[in-house]
Amino acid sequence: MKPKSKPKYWRSLSELEGDSEFQEFVEREFHSPTEQTPLSSQGRRRFMQLMGASFALAGCRWQEEKLLPHTTQPQGLIPGVPVNYATFMDVGGVATGLLVKSYDGRPIKIEGNTLDSVSQGGTGTFHQAAILGLYDPDRSSKSLQGKTPSTPDAFDAALLDAFAAAVKKGGAGFFVLSQASSSPSLARLRAELLKQAPMARWVSYEAADAAGPRAGTQLAFGKALTPMYRPENADVLVALDSDFITSAFPGGIGHARAVASRRDPDQGKMSRLYALEASLTEIGSLADHRVAVAPSKIAAIAAYLDAQLSAGRAAPGAQTAPDEAAVGGAQIKKVLDVIAKDLLANAGKSLVVVGSGHAPEVHALVHRINFVLGNVGSTLQFRETGDTLAGGVDELASLVADMEGGKVGTLLILGGNPAYDAPADIGFVSALAKVPASFHVGLYVDETASLCKWHTPLTHFLEAWGDARAVDGSYRIAQPLIESVLGGRSELQILAKLLHLPKQDGQSVVRDSLGLSVAKLGSGADKAFRKAIHDGFVGESATALEVELQQIGAINLPASTDLEVIFEVDPALYDGRFANNAWLQELPHPLSKLTWDNAALVAPDTAKKYGLSDAHPCTVTLDGRSVTLPCLVAPGQAEGTIMLALGYGREQVGVVGGFKAKDVLSVGANTYAIRTSKAPHFALGAQVKAAGSRVELAVTQHLWAIDAIGKQGEDEREDVLVREATLGNYQEFKKQHPGHAAHGAPHPGDIKGKVHHPPKLNLWNGPVSYDGHKWGMSVDLNKCSGCSACIIACQSENNIAVVGKSEVARGRELTWLRVERYYKGDDKNAEVRQQPVMCQQCESAPCEQVCPVGATMHSAEGLNDMVYNRCIGTRYCSNNCPYKVRRFNYRNYNLEFYGTTPYSGTDDPRAKLKAMAFNPEVTVRGRGVMEKCTFCVQRIQNTKIQAKNNKRPIEDGEIKTACEQACPTGAIIFGDLNDKTSRVQAAHNKSRAYELLQELNNRPRVNYLARISNPHPELSTQDGHSSEHH
Amino acid sequence: MATAASTTNPYNGPLKGDNPFAQITDNVSRIMEAPKPPLAWYIAMAFALSLLGVFGASLGYVVWEGIGAWGHVHPVAWGFPIVNFVFWVGIGHAGTLISAILFLLRQNWRTAINRFAEAMTIFAVVCAAVFPGVHIGRPWLPYWMFPIPNQMGMWPQFRSPLEWDVFAVGTYATVSILFWYMGMIPDFATFRDRSTSTVRRAVYGIVAMGWRGSSRQWHRYERAYLLLAALATPLVLSVHSVVSFDFATSQLPGWHTTIFPPYFVAGAIFGGFAMVVVLAIPARQFFGLKKIITMKHLELMAKVILGTGMLVGYAYAMEMFVAWYSGAMFEQFAFVNRAFGNYAWSYWTMIFCNVASPQVFWFKKMRTNVWVIFTVGVIVNVGMWFERFVIICTSLARDFLPANWGELIPSPVDYATLGGSFGLFFTLFLLFCRYMPMVAMAEVKAFIPEGHAHDEDDHH
Repeated sequence: MKPKSKPKYWRSLSELEGDSEFQEFVEREFHSPTEQTPLSSQGRRRFMQLMGASFALAGCRWQEEKLLPHTTQPQGLIPGVPVNYATFMDVGGVATGLLVKSYDGRPIKIEGNTLDSVSQGGTGTFHQAAILGLYDPDRSSKSLQGKTPSTPDAFDAALLDAFAAAVKKGGAGFFVLSQASSSPSLARLRAELLKQAPMARWVSYEAADAAGPRAGTQLAFGKALTPMYRPENADVLVALDSDFITSAFPGGIGHARAVASRRDPDQGKMSRLYALEASLTEIGSLADHRVAVAPSKIAAIAAYLDAQLSAGRAAPGAQTAPDEAAVGGAQIKKVLDVIAKDLLANAGKSLVVVGSGHAPEVHALVHRINFVLGNVGSTLQFRETGDTLAGGVDELASLVADMEGGKVGTLLILGGNPAYDAPADIGFVSALAKVPASFHVGLYVDETASLCKWHTPLTHFLEAWGDARAVDGSYRIAQPLIESVLGGRSELQILAKLLHLPKQDGQSVVRDSLGLSVAKLGSGADKAFRKAIHDGFVGESATALEVELQQIGAINLPASTDLEVIFEVDPALYDGRFANNAWLQELPHPLSKLTWDNAALVAPDTAKKYGLSDAHPCTVTLDGRSVTLPCLVAPGQAEGTIMLALGYGREQVGVVGGFKAKDVLSVGANTYAIRTSKAPHFALGAQVKAAGSRVELAVTQHLWAIDAIGKQGEDEREDVLVREATLGNYQEFKKQHPGHAAHGAPHPGDIKGKVHHPPKLNLWNGPVSYDGHKWGMSVDLNKCSGCSACIIACQSENNIAVVGKSEVARGRELTWLRVERYYKGDDKNAEVRQQPVMCQQCESAPCEQVCPVGATMHSAEGLNDMVYNRCIGTRYCSNNCPYKVRRFNYRNYNLEFYGTTPYSGTDDPRAKLKAMAFNPEVTVRGRGVMEKCTFCVQRIQNTKIQAKNNKRPIEDGEIKTACEQACPTGAIIFGDLNDKTSRVQAAHNKSRAYELLQELNNRPRVNYLARISNPHPELSTQDGHSSEHH
Repeated sequence: MATAASTTNPYNGPLKGDNPFAQITDNVSRIMEAPKPPLAWYIAMAFALSLLGVFGASLGYVVWEGIGAWGHVHPVAWGFPIVNFVFWVGIGHAGTLISAILFLLRQNWRTAINRFAEAMTIFAVVCAAVFPGVHIGRPWLPYWMFPIPNQMGMWPQFRSPLEWDVFAVGTYATVSILFWYMGMIPDFATFRDRSTSTVRRAVYGIVAMGWRGSSRQWHRYERAYLLLAALATPLVLSVHSVVSFDFATSQLPGWHTTIFPPYFVAGAIFGGFAMVVVLAIPARQFFGLKKIITMKHLELMAKVILGTGMLVGYAYAMEMFVAWYSGAMFEQFAFVNRAFGNYAWSYWTMIFCNVASPQVFWFKKMRTNVWVIFTVGVIVNVGMWFERFVIICTSLARDFLPANWGELIPSPVDYATLGGSFGLFFTLFLLFCRYMPMVAMAEVKAFIPEGHAHDEDDHH
């Protein structure tokens, strides 16, 4: 009874999975008749063996080896009691420390590691979503020789033969292509490889890599260094087209927390944040002044700032100030003058950061600015780059030249997918065909794997030992949480075998790299290693180096063109490696709110100029190559720029991201098709034209273009919903009304008193007195950058289903927590406000009153409990919820996505593997019931039980909701409002705390802390903070 | 109205009987007694049955696939099914109003149409009752809304207006059925007595419940009728008031309005009368009832439509005024958006249908033209459906937080269930026309001029 002409998005693909033809295809393509993967056959028995094995791995084997990597030390492993293990995730050569919650040997949730010196407990979307990636049945499970199934042994034999043959020739013709990596072990093995085969070459390629930062330090200081930003020390921050607080930026999660720590108007000196950027970004969401500028203007802007700052200072080689037109007009010039003044006034306590994609000269210039201001050492430090593999595009280009020239006899590709993400102009794919022996080690049988002669599966990071350096240079250690579920091996294992190391298992390799081998250290080694695994890191951050400024030549300003293209690493899919992760595909883009697609983002005026409109496809042409994708009109986008997200349009990854061989449509358009090695980040001289009629886009918040009435209504209410004030006004108010907040009485002119309403009286006394706990939450709008890590954290913790593109287009996504985006200002210089909205847990909850079957009830601790079993799905609660935070299972989404639920049971091994991602502590909802945020009630209960068993009160901060735990900036605080000393109580008492829609008298338990901006006095009128009118 | 159908219509021949009483009996009874109904009945029945099939198939699909088959979007969690529910409950108003309130007010003209209107009420309530059951997420569990003692310890939550609905609609349906059925007993007895086949005699004999027409029976019958009328009268007001509480007691701007109970009742009577004329005009044509349902009846109903239409128009205006007067931002936006926002077309459709179109009834020429009355009746029904759509869907589509705003995108299944519910309604109605006394013979006889020529003991 299914409609025939359903679009082939992933939902129809999951149906496809049940299709016998597809099954047959999978068998033929990937399955070996001789060897069976654990989950591919034999059904339940083999599955249980695997589970037993993984349990043994995480449990018994640890005990045997006396490796107890517990963060909380239990006396013994108790079934059903989750245990946390420290590890890290490496994305693009940057390691982020994590704690992984393992439930009976099965990792189910990823959290930030609060001991981690860089992230300090924050995580990004990639990290949170890695659990789903681990249990992705589309991951490669078979070694392949060409298209024929093979075995790992055959792969190894072929690789070893090729290497042995190369070693005889001194290694000539043996090439390794890896991804970016900061792993000391990989560096050690690389050195070993080059020792055994000195003429072999090791190149690395990372699509997201930018050469600018490295070459910039080379130009500025004479050697390649790694910058370490210390925004926590900066009173004035200037981000020049640099979103340095995203999880895609090296150390970005740490920067987010550091920047946010200075955004508290109630404590310490609040920083001032300027963002000059092409697209709206996370840092732009936090900024006090946000100005839209095209990337081509950044060089001139940096030069202008340098000229202003160097004036009257004995700094040789100052730039001459470019004219007004070069920096982008009088308005921008005025802002730059103010910035220069502000930077000078805060010399030594300021920081200028420029986007990674910019030219080395621009980086050098910005380093110079920081140096001249005396920021180096306080807000900006440098460390040795060391043995890090960065993965520049030049390296790949030279490799391709060698491949074309027939110099490459054997190519070992360790991870990475260059056939998909290599620049379009260097012809990697055609060159690969000329390599006689190509070996691919990867997570998926992807675009590259299918072109190689050999393929073997790689382990997921949760299955392998590993190590890395964080951005501060300190050492991170990864330990396996589970036996390789699909039979992969890590890069370290494969290389160790290739190099005939004496000990070839991942643990030994990592341990030897650490220098903690028993042979070396004797008896203390075990203890040190145990501690290292327990903490997930070893050693201190690298020491900051003294640097000396070099002479920098005059900078060349790029010629201005009509249209420039910006390539953005997608905040969800990164460079495309997470394309088969449905959580990430369905995550709304932090700014455009687009899911399951990428789009060309253009400014409203640019759209008008080129005849583009929302959701209509357009063709972007660059150097004769073109890509067609839908257009989204994005206010705040710099005029004349088109932003394209990378990572979409995968043709061979799986049933989520795209699988061309079986007509599984790719999600989005492949923008690598027009990305060249000359201009991988920004490209000038693009053309764009409209191409066709409207397509369906799954955006979770309506498009900017809305009817006049709607726009008016939105403008009217924005100031009430997202309240803001300037720091000056806020401090003035606090001075005039000392202690007023403690009394809780709203005052006109106050943030709380912004809405005038009659006294909020109750007709009756509530049935609950909240004698025990009284859970509450606060969300600091001054800190939320909209990164959306909380959304994925919530999805992972609470078994929230994926619904698919066509359902998102109908607004049926199930995310309990959404981040609302509000545009402020005109469309040329729009700013953005981010507001996470989850269930407000009202004390007088409108939802509870209207449920005819009592499926949503008030708990004694003030939670709106949702009884899924009792819900019959009238949806009245959703209608009566003014925040619309209740989400409804219109279909059996979990069954559709996972192929099974904990209650339905299945013999399908794919479904069984996927279902391992379920959190056993949270009910998996079926069709026809309402669901909503519970304040992570399972976490509350667990902690209560622990505290009760230990006969102690619950400490403030002991219970962290999933969103709070994941938040890199610490914007979300959860706690007990009955605890007068709790952080959440303190937050609720602030005079900038307000309830959303307080006039409805629902008495929500979530308070928002108003956004307090700190504009420069000379710019505050120009920027027109509209909230001042009230 | 001399159409091809009417020339072949077995019901258009001369009436048997030598006095008006016999003629009335013949006029009504021959509809059932004729070996074959007119061709129009078959055509209508075929049409209604195919729509009913669509209804069954679409609901089956919804139950199988989940209610995601409908076009609900977040935040519009109530879409077509609830619009249809309120629409049908509203239609179900005219019947009881005509039977009960007009009876108590001694509006004797009602006797020609009351049976008919009551039947319409029952069938409309049947159509309405389908929707709350299947629109819920787990359509196999609607009985959890009933206070049935059970081992799970579950009990309904009586603060919910939906729970009030269960009782309001349930009571209304029960009383309406009793009222309708009791009124038919003497007429069933007439059918039984005139039956020539054993089966027919047996069936009508059972449903006539031993009616002999004794004076004691007539006495009891009239007392009971009066009591039931008195019982049903408050229900006319209560049922739609309670349905309106679903909206009025909520917090949603556009729903949270104190004017709703009277406004809903007026709208329901308005829509109900429109449906009565839409049904009565073809019925009197095809079943040869023009002598019983006369132009005078139609004209009176047109007047009721005009009057209630203006009440509804007043309510629309008052809603706007109160929204403006309240000074409440969200409330004001809800109404401005309703009239000029993304759903303005539905609002103005509603205004045209419900406020503008009945104005033609100011003119006697229009009130007495069956084509005009029929057309206006159809238009008003369309308008009343849109009224519920405007209230339910457009208010939900844009509420407090702009991030939630969305637009309902009806799916084909939505249209199928809407159209299909008419199939159920017309099927039941056509069966009623053919097999049940369409006009209350006994009551009509009491009010014809000849009835008053005799003394009160006429029935003895």
